[in-house]
Amino acid sequence: MTLGQRADTASVQAIEREFRLNQPWYKRLYFYFNDLSPVSAHKLNDENHPTYLAPNQAHFVKLFTVGEKTIVLKKPDLGRSFQSRRKVSEVLSEKVFATAILALFAMLIASVIGIVIGVFAALRQYSFWDNFILTSSVIGISQPAFFSAFLIAIIFGYYLSALTGLNHQGSLVVLNDYGDEVIVWKNLILPVIALGIRPVGIIAQLTRASMLDVLSQDYVRTARAKGLSYYKVVFKHALRNALNPVLTSISGWLAALLTGAYFIETVFNYDGLGLQTVNSLKNFDFPVVMGGVLFVAVVFVIVNIFTDILYSLLDPRVVIKG
Amino acid sequence: MEKKLLLEVKNLVTEFKTDDGYVKAVNDVSFTLYRGETIGIVGESGSGKSVTSLSIMRLIPNPPGRIASGQIIYHTKDGKQIDLTKLSEEDMRKYRGNEISMIFQEPMTSLNPVFTCGDQVAEAIMLHQKKTKKEANEITLKMFEKVKLPNPQRVLDAYPHQLSGGQKQRVMIAMAMSCNPNILIADEPTTALDVTVQATILDLMNQLRNEIESSVIFITHDLGVIAEIADRVIVMYKGKIVEQGAVLDIFSDPKHPYTKSLLACRPPLKIRLRKLPTVVDFMREENGQIIELPTSVSEAINAQVISKAETDARRERLLTGKTLLEVKNLKTWFPSKKNFFGKTTDWVKAVDDVSFNVQEGETLGLVGESGCGKTTLGRTILRLAPAESGEILFEGKNLLDMNASDLKDMRRHMQIIFQDPYSSLNPRMTIGNAIQEPMSVHGIYENEKVRKEKVIELLEKVNMKPEQYSRYPHEFSGGQRQRICIARALALNPRFIICDESVSALDVSVQAQVLNLLIHLREEFKFTYIFISHDLSVVKFMSDRMVVMNKGKIEEMGAADEIYNNPQQDYTKRLINAIPKGELEHIRQRITNLQPTI
Repeated sequence: MTLGQRADTASVQAIEREFRLNQPWYKRLYFYFNDLSPVSAHKLNDENHPTYLAPNQAHFVKLFTVGEKTIVLKKPDLGRSFQSRRKVSEVLSEKVFATAILALFAMLIASVIGIVIGVFAALRQYSFWDNFILTSSVIGISQPAFFSAFLIAIIFGYYLSALTGLNHQGSLVVLNDYGDEVIVWKNLILPVIALGIRPVGIIAQLTRASMLDVLSQDYVRTARAKGLSYYKVVFKHALRNALNPVLTSISGWLAALLTGAYFIETVFNYDGLGLQTVNSLKNFDFPVVMGGVLFVAVVFVIVNIFTDILYSLLDPRVVIKG
Repeated sequence: MEKKLLLEVKNLVTEFKTDDGYVKAVNDVSFTLYRGETIGIVGESGSGKSVTSLSIMRLIPNPPGRIASGQIIYHTKDGKQIDLTKLSEEDMRKYRGNEISMIFQEPMTSLNPVFTCGDQVAEAIMLHQKKTKKEANEITLKMFEKVKLPNPQRVLDAYPHQLSGGQKQRVMIAMAMSCNPNILIADEPTTALDVTVQATILDLMNQLRNEIESSVIFITHDLGVIAEIADRVIVMYKGKIVEQGAVLDIFSDPKHPYTKSLLACRPPLKIRLRKLPTVVDFMREENGQIIELPTSVSEAINAQVISKAETDARRERLLTGKTLLEVKNLKTWFPSKKNFFGKTTDWVKAVDDVSFNVQEGETLGLVGESGCGKTTLGRTILRLAPAESGEILFEGKNLLDMNASDLKDMRRHMQIIFQDPYSSLNPRMTIGNAIQEPMSVHGIYENEKVRKEKVIELLEKVNMKPEQYSRYPHEFSGGQRQRICIARALALNPRFIICDESVSALDVSVQAQVLNLLIHLREEFKFTYIFISHDLSVVKFMSDRMVVMNKGKIEEMGAADEIYNNPQQDYTKRLINAIPKGELEHIRQRITNLQPTI
């Protein structure tokens, strides 16, 4: 794959050495972690050793030497793609922007719509609109993302394409005729809708349940007894309390959306992290797949820490202790 | 002084929609309120007293509730008469919080947790008095000083969870008073608080009332509290007013049997009773008709008095008997600060070096304010909380040294009845199963069938019906639930029961019934109790000996009557003074004291 047509023994061996494919799996795992760690051990005096770091290619600071190995401080290294021989971090970082925009927009729109219809349903509990919103949100939650993605792509991007002016496939960042990168915002619309449908349903239901709970609290009655207007009671006193659990779920979903984007990007042929990972998987380009998975995992952790901090800002009762 | 009308409630009917149609929570209620007057509305839970007050505020949740008929006429300062039931929601808001304001029962949940106390009070001031944020804050600060909050500047920026229950109630009072309302409705404002805190809040309300000349509608289930504050009393029973009159008249010459039972069911302080008179001593109900029994309050009480000789004889018998439980130098400390390595550097000393013993068949009362460590002590004895050091000898065996299986055997003999009957029963378990569960855990009785028979027997013991076996907890009232909890505690035939504030969440009338039940069971099964409460009058009624706790330590210990009659410590005196007396001389004194100010 990497060699193309000229697969002679010498070249194969050279490639195997470069990617350490001649090593047993446990050593490769060790090397991978060693490369990943900011503080790592390397043999700097043996060019043929798998942990050799070429001074002209890698930036590192020597810390100290233990036996034959030198402990160095460096940037985490995810290795190189089998296919393009480019650094995995480079390959991925090109795609992060498109995926991040997709996930953020989907989440933003899902949150706004979800909260609005959730509050609306709570204020009109057991009415026709409440039942309608509840039922449709259950349908929204139940259907898998790739199912709605196909439907949306076919209906709005294909049959109604003339009407909507949208494509059923396309990326956010594309090269125009002059070879410049341009951002085509309209290619974002359908993937965002497809990705946002499930969170809308969940956020609407959560907001409704949480709002109903808060509206029956004593402090809402206190606020009404003060003579505050209906809207002030609902939006200042009730909503502020009702949103806490909703915000936690929103940030939890933000991380989950990054994974949901894998399907959506594939369906819409939207050039992002998900499409890249899926394509790499098809081509057995494992360093990229590993890098992609690792990246999503890190985002998960960071978002969750961020959520906890956010929670303590919103609810004065929550205090983060060291 | 000429009395000026302020509020007239005429034939008010408020209904709630249920599965069986509309139920009248307030049924044809009429009363008047004059300027500067305080009326007390008294009745048990479900008597419609809260619904009446919420109707005046037009805060009945709709649906399911609605004001079906009647008028609520409010007389404004310039002589206009306004029917509050006819006002639009928007017009009503001008009166709410401004001319009529309200204090609620639960200070813990009545303040919004995400806004500072200052903001919440200032909000009302900005709304009704059209002040800027800065002016409103200044007024709020003055109000906080008026309600005697410690360090008002700090409270201004504090969130509700940072304050104690009493402080929160002061913030609520400040909020209600901030716009100088003409009518202040206080719906059980002290019920959720300790007796000592209740006394300070009542004091404060009396003072403020004289200062700003508003009328007060004070709602409570406790006639003793009414005696401390009201000029006139309205007694409500099942949605109707059964009696109203001046406070002295009601206390000296109650007409309605229900009023009599309310007066008689409070645990008396000066005498010792076998059991408390309850509603059934004064009236019976047949097909919704009240049949009055010819008993007077003093007759009912006098019939139950235990003589000093009897008390002494019982004490003698207990003290010479076997010692069941011995607590020696018990300490329960909770870590409050930890250093970097997880080593505890500071403790909250909930129970600090406490020693006492309990004789077989005795009831030991444990009394003190919230946070004094009495509940922790009770839990530590059952090993529900970890002890730091000390010994707990139950029949000579140290509970703290026991391993898990010995402890399980031991727990059969010791049970606890918790404070809140609403949250201590699993809502998804039928009450029969709840009572039966401890039996199957400990494997007593041969099979399911025998156990079920036993449960039904227990239900009858606590005055419940056998057919209620497969009902769920939400179908029962607070008093019934507490009886179910008692039945559950009895399921294992224990010999020793800890009652942890078991009657604090109940109305005075229901409290009397539960206390009577506990005493009856004590006589029948020869139980030994530790009875924990913040209310010295209840503890005194129940116990032979009494332990007064403060800040984790024992302040005083001795025979219950002796401690009441001759308290040695200032702390004990404070607890005794805080009890609403509800006695005639006391009311007369208060009213004569008031005269010059009117």
